[in-house]
Order: sequence, then C-alpha cells, then structure tokens
Amino acid sequence: MRNAILATVSMLSMAALLPAEATAQLRTVSMSRQLEDEDEVRVQVQYGAGEFSVRAMDAGLLYRMSLEYDEDRYEPVAEYEDHTLRVGIESIRNGFGRRSRDGGRLDLELARGVPMDLDLEFGAVQADVDLGGLALTGLELSTGASQSTIDVSEPSTASMEVARFEVGAAEFVARRLGNLNAARIEVDAGVGSITLWLDGEWREDSRVGIDMGLGSLELRVPEGLGLELRKDSFLTSLDSEGLVKRGDVYQSLDWDEAARRVTVDLDAAFGSVKVVWIR
Amino acid sequence: MLVSRPADLALGLLLALALPASAYAQLPAQTRTVVSKEVSVGRTESALRLELDGGDDLAITFDDGSVRVNDESVGSFVVGGALDVAWRELLAQAVALDDGSVRVNDESVGSFVVGGALDVAWRELLAQAVALDDGPLASALVDWTAPAALTGDAAVVAGAIDQALEGALTGAPAQVNAAEPSVSLGDTRSLMRLLLNRDGRLALLDDAFEGIDDAARVEIGADVVIGADETVEGDLVVIEGDARIEGEVGGDVVMVGGTLELLEGSVVEGSVRLADARLLRNQGEIEGDVVEVRNEEPVLGEVREDIRREVVDELRAEIRQEIRRGEDRSMVGPFRSVASAVGGVLENLVTILILGLIGAAVIAFGGEKVDVIAETVRRAPGRSAAVGAAGTILLIPVWVLGFVALVVSIVGIPVAIAWLPLFPIAACLAALVGYLSVARNAGEWLADSDLPWTQWIRKSNSLITMTGGLLGLMVLFVAANVVSMAPFLGFLRGLLAVAGFVVTVAALQIGFGAVILTRGGRRRDYARDAGRYSPDEAWEAAMKVEVDDVVEESGPNDSKASNRKETGDA
Repeated sequence: MRNAILATVSMLSMAALLPAEATAQLRTVSMSRQLEDEDEVRVQVQYGAGEFSVRAMDAGLLYRMSLEYDEDRYEPVAEYEDHTLRVGIESIRNGFGRRSRDGGRLDLELARGVPMDLDLEFGAVQADVDLGGLALTGLELSTGASQSTIDVSEPSTASMEVARFEVGAAEFVARRLGNLNAARIEVDAGVGSITLWLDGEWREDSRVGIDMGLGSLELRVPEGLGLELRKDSFLTSLDSEGLVKRGDVYQSLDWDEAARRVTVDLDAAFGSVKVVWIR
Repeated sequence: MLVSRPADLALGLLLALALPASAYAQLPAQTRTVVSKEVSVGRTESALRLELDGGDDLAITFDDGSVRVNDESVGSFVVGGALDVAWRELLAQAVALDDGSVRVNDESVGSFVVGGALDVAWRELLAQAVALDDGPLASALVDWTAPAALTGDAAVVAGAIDQALEGALTGAPAQVNAAEPSVSLGDTRSLMRLLLNRDGRLALLDDAFEGIDDAARVEIGADVVIGADETVEGDLVVIEGDARIEGEVGGDVVMVGGTLELLEGSVVEGSVRLADARLLRNQGEIEGDVVEVRNEEPVLGEVREDIRREVVDELRAEIRQEIRRGEDRSMVGPFRSVASAVGGVLENLVTILILGLIGAAVIAFGGEKVDVIAETVRRAPGRSAAVGAAGTILLIPVWVLGFVALVVSIVGIPVAIAWLPLFPIAACLAALVGYLSVARNAGEWLADSDLPWTQWIRKSNSLITMTGGLLGLMVLFVAANVVSMAPFLGFLRGLLAVAGFVVTVAALQIGFGAVILTRGGRRRDYARDAGRYSPDEAWEAAMKVEVDDVVEESGPNDSKASNRKETGDA
C-alpha cells in the first residue's frame, strides 16, 4: 500500500512537471491467433495509456486484439510462446515526456472457456474490463492512475485461489466479484475511490483483503450475503449500516444464517469506508 | 522452357517473375491454415503478417514507398554484362534504385504512390483481412488479384504480392521433370535475392554460364538430387541451392552459391564450375576440370587497407598526444599539488570561519538551549548518537508521511505545502546546531587539555570555545590537505580524509540526536543543570574549595556569606 502511495505521488508530481504532448500519430493494428489445443494459457496484457477493454468471445480464436496507438512512442506486442500470450504495447522511447492519453485504444477479446491465468497491467487508462465467461484460474490486475471498471458479468467456469487487484491513483469499480469464483480476493489500493460490488454468484465462502491508503471505499453488498468486516485502520471513518459489532469485528445481521459468507479484512489509513446494501 | 544462352535464360526467369497476377490463378485452391495474423495500418506503413501452419511466416509490407515480403532486404543492384542489361531493360521503369522503390521481400520491384490505385487496393485487402480469420482469410488472400486498372509498375508489384500470397497460402511446390531440360523456379524470392542483393554473383553468372549449351537444366532456389539411376543429358546449373549427385550429368555442373556433393558412382562428363560455391564431397568422377569462378575484391581490399591505415594513424596521433600531455603534467606536477593543497587548507579555514559565524548567531539567539544540547552531548553521547542515526534514517519517511497526513484534510493542505520545504530546512538546522554543540564540547575539552597550540582557547568565551572545537573537528581534513603537498603520501592523505569524514559524521549524528533528545534544547532530561547559573559551582571553580565543607564549618545559614567571610579571614 505504501508503495502504491509513493508511486502515485511520484507519478502525479512527474505528470504535473512534464510538458504537454504534441498531437499523436495513431496507428491501427489488428491481431488474432487461432485457438489450438491449449490446456491452459497465461495471458499478460500491458497497456500504458488510452482506452482499454477486455471481453470474452466465441470465435474459435485464442485472442483478437484491435489497437490504436501513437506509433512514434509505442510499438505493439503480440507474442505467444510456451502457452504464454503477451499482448499490448511497449514504449519505444526513453526519457521524459508526458504519455499521450488521447486517442489510444486497445480492445482485447479472449477465448471463452479456455483456462486462463490473466495478468492485466495498465497505466493511465480508462479501462472497461468484462471478465465474464472467461475461465479464470488466476487474476492479477494492476493499474496506475486510471478510471477502471471491472465487471464479471458471467460466472467463471474455473476456480482460482487468489484474485489480486493493485490500484494506484484510481477510480476503481469492480462488479459481481462473486462470479470470479475466487477463494480470496485481494485489493491493494493507493489513492482514490474504490467501489467493490460483492454481488454475483459466490460458490463458496470467501475472504476479501483490502489494503487501502488514502481515499474512500464503498462496499456494495447484496442482501442475503453474510458479511464480516475486520477493520484495522487509522483515521478512517466507517459507515457500518446493517452491521453489528461483535467483539472486534462487524457482522451483518444475518451472518449466522447466511448461505454464503464473505469476510473482509480491511487495513486502511486516512479515508472513509461505507457499506451499502443492495437488493 | 528451353534456354538458348545465359542472358536469355535469365530474361526468361525474370519474365516468369514478372508475370501478371492472372497467370497465378491456376494454382491449387487448397489453402493453408492461418495460425495468427496481424494487420497494421500506420502513417507510412501498411502491413499484413501471417503465421501459417508448419511455422511459416508471410509478411507483406508497404513502407515508405516500398513493398517488402518477409522483410528480406535485397538492397541495390549494380551489375554489368548482358544479364544486367536484360534485367534493366525489363524493369528499368519499374525499379527505382533510390528512395521510393517498391520491394518484394524488401527487394525492389517497383514503386507505388500513397493513395494510388495499388495502395487503395492493398488497403482494401487489409480491411478484409481484419474481419476474417483463418479459412475465410486465407481464401480471401489467395483469391485476391491485382485490380485490372493497374498498369505498369503497380501491376508488377501487385503480381509479386499476389504470387507471394499464393505461394505462402497454398504451399504449392514447383514441379520439375528431371529428365528434360527445364528451368525450375523453386523460390522467386531466391531469384530476387540473387539478382538484386548480391552484386558479385551477377557478375559470376556471366563467367559461370560461359559455354553452357541449350539443353541445360537450371534449378534456382531449390536443392537438387540426381539419383543413382538418373541422368541429366546436358549441363546442370544450380543457382542458390545445393546439389547431391549420385547419377550422371552429361555436361558441365555449374554451381552458383550452395554446395555440391558428388557421391560414389556419380559421373560428371564435363567440368564442375563453382561460382561462390564449394565442393563438399567428391567421391565421384569428374572428366573435366574443377574450376572455381571467383570475384576479385580489389575494392573491398583497398577499403580494408584504408580503414586499417586510418585506424593506425589515429592511434599513433592519440598516443603522441597522450605522451605530450604526460610530459606537461610531469613539469608542473609539484607546483600543482602545492597549490591544490594550499587551496584545500584555505577552503577548510573558510569553512571553519563560516561555521564559527553561524555558531555566534546560534549562541546569541539560542543561548541556554545550546547549553542544554551541549550538556546532553557531554552526558549522553551514546544515546545521542543512536537517536541521531535513527532520526537520520526516519527523516524521509516522516517527511512523506507527514505530508500525506496533512493533505488528507482541507485545513491541512496549506500546512502540507509549507511542510514540504520547511521540514528539510528544519532537519538541516537541527543537524547544524547539534554539530556546533559538539564543536563547543570539543573546544572545552581542548581548553582543559595540555595540548600545545590550545592555550588561546578560553572556556569563558563560548564563541572562541566553539571555534576551537570546530578546528579540532576539522583538523584531520586540514592535515590531509597539508600532507598532500608532499609527494608519495597519497595513502596517508586518503586515510586522514576518511578519518575526518568519520569524525564529521559522528559529530553530526551525536549532535542531531542531542537536538532530538532535548527537543531543540527545551528538555533537560539529560542536562538537568545545564544553562543555569550555579553560584556554588562558580565559587568552587573560582576559589578551588568544596562548598559543603565550608558550610559544615560555618553552619547551615547563609552559606555564601559564610564562605565569603571564611575566605576574607583567610
């Protein structure tokens, strides 16, 4: 968390000091790869700045990517080797300079149903990621100063041990996290506004670990889901509507009777935490 | 195809290469699987890259007015002789040797105009490719033919592209009848490479083909195997390929590039000509000669010699210059070191003077607080050093976290802005005051000592005490500079400088720690009596008597008066 804060502060300072970018020359690239007999693939996506989307698809392809990027500054990456797919863009220019935030775009479609360990890393982007339909066996999402919406519109057909979200300075919204089918979800947030929707289909009791620096956290919890909140915080307000304090923990009223339970371990400094119940 | 003479042979090959797109329409319709595709359209480049089953790749690129296939660079071609003339006559208008050339496999075959008919047609193809995958994509690419509207250069380029697509996606091998004289075009790109990239080989062809008869069998860009029961009636020419002969060749064997293997039982009735090729194994029978056709490389040799000569001259000049510089240094060396040492000593003295002036200001404004810090240094140096070290380590984290803590609230934001510069300044001031306090203690110690040259240090004057202490703390640096005047004492100088650095760091740490411990001289936990006037101590110091003893003798009342009385009586 501290690292995230430091990184964020540094990034914002640098961005403020750097000169404006000239108009970018955009290049469009379309790439795809046939789906072969992949048992499981590891997918690494790297994207610096612009708009970013991920979807599942049924086209018989492992992936299909459409890119628009500043060809003076970046080059596309699409490598597939040893069941590892690496796609995105890489910077080709060293030194300082504000990264172009306008115009760049990456639309990525991934094969539905193929067991997949997904690693998404993006910087100053506006991300719209729908992981629904993907058979995720692992998930790591790392984002810098972004406005990101993560949705898991359909339950994952695979299960995973841990899903990790590392968020720098961001407005981050994750919906239907229950559909991830993850035994544990970890969110490491630096500065920003975080909204976690704990709806979706929880197939087992799970834990959600949230390590938050400076900002606001909103937990949107569906009625009927047992919620336990363990809080270790400093200068953090808690709006614990619908929770009762039992010992050191806050529990939902129906915790004992709930069919599925989610335990949230919250470590926060400077900020606010709000629990909102949804029907 | 019958070949009458070498130039005609080459011309025939070139014509085959330059066939319009329609000539390839008869190729097998079966297409290969496209494993992955990349369609890229940029400011100056548009490209299609395919990965096909079996690991083959195909990349066709329009870039800066050039067309490349599989990024194979051919470069310029400068040739002489009949073959070159024939090539130039055929493609003179299509091939530009400079900028704006159109290439296949990076091999120039024509030019295109951005936004022109060919460019538009190509981009339309790319647009199709974006939407299609595998089968449909492969079919679309195979079915693509150059638009009928294309003429001249554009038609030639389009034909080359079409051919590359057909070749890659259908994988149709060229069939060769070994029994008949023929020209086999194994790989058009090889021919392009041969003709355009390797200037030397074009010249070799003229020599190698000399005397080749009409019935020659020519293989280009493909390996040849003549089995034990096979016979080639005339000459055998293999260009950009390997040949393995177990049977008989009725004429000469000409190899341009590649390797030739003559296995046991093989017979070559003519000669073997090796043009930039080699005879790997010779277990057969060659009735003629083995002739190596070589290109002389006088130009290359001259260039190499020129480069070698230039490098040698450059090195010699460099060495001469270095020797001269060394001589100059040796002449002024002693004076330089003395001047440098004197400069260093002056630098030390100026530093001491500046610190002394700052010390005066600190004593003037700090007063009792400086006494408390100095007393803490004296009484708890170890604790001060530990706190100082910890404080140094925590400086940056405290600075950052303090800023973050302040910036959380709106009220704190202005304070946070001030915090950023003020905190480092405060830390530096604390270290400076601490160091000066240590210097003052050092000065007092020197005043009490019997060391020579320290009589001028008087404890009664805080400023002089502090200046003496500063000199004591920095004496190692001064000594290092003095020592550097003498030759061969570099090691001693380094040792003294390191010791001086260690003393300075220790003084800074202890002083900084004492400042922290005393909260800037306000807490007296470690210096209870510091900065307070004690008449008893002053009396003891002045009269060198124990006050308690005097008090006992004169009674408990008014000890100072009694003391004075006692003393007066004495």
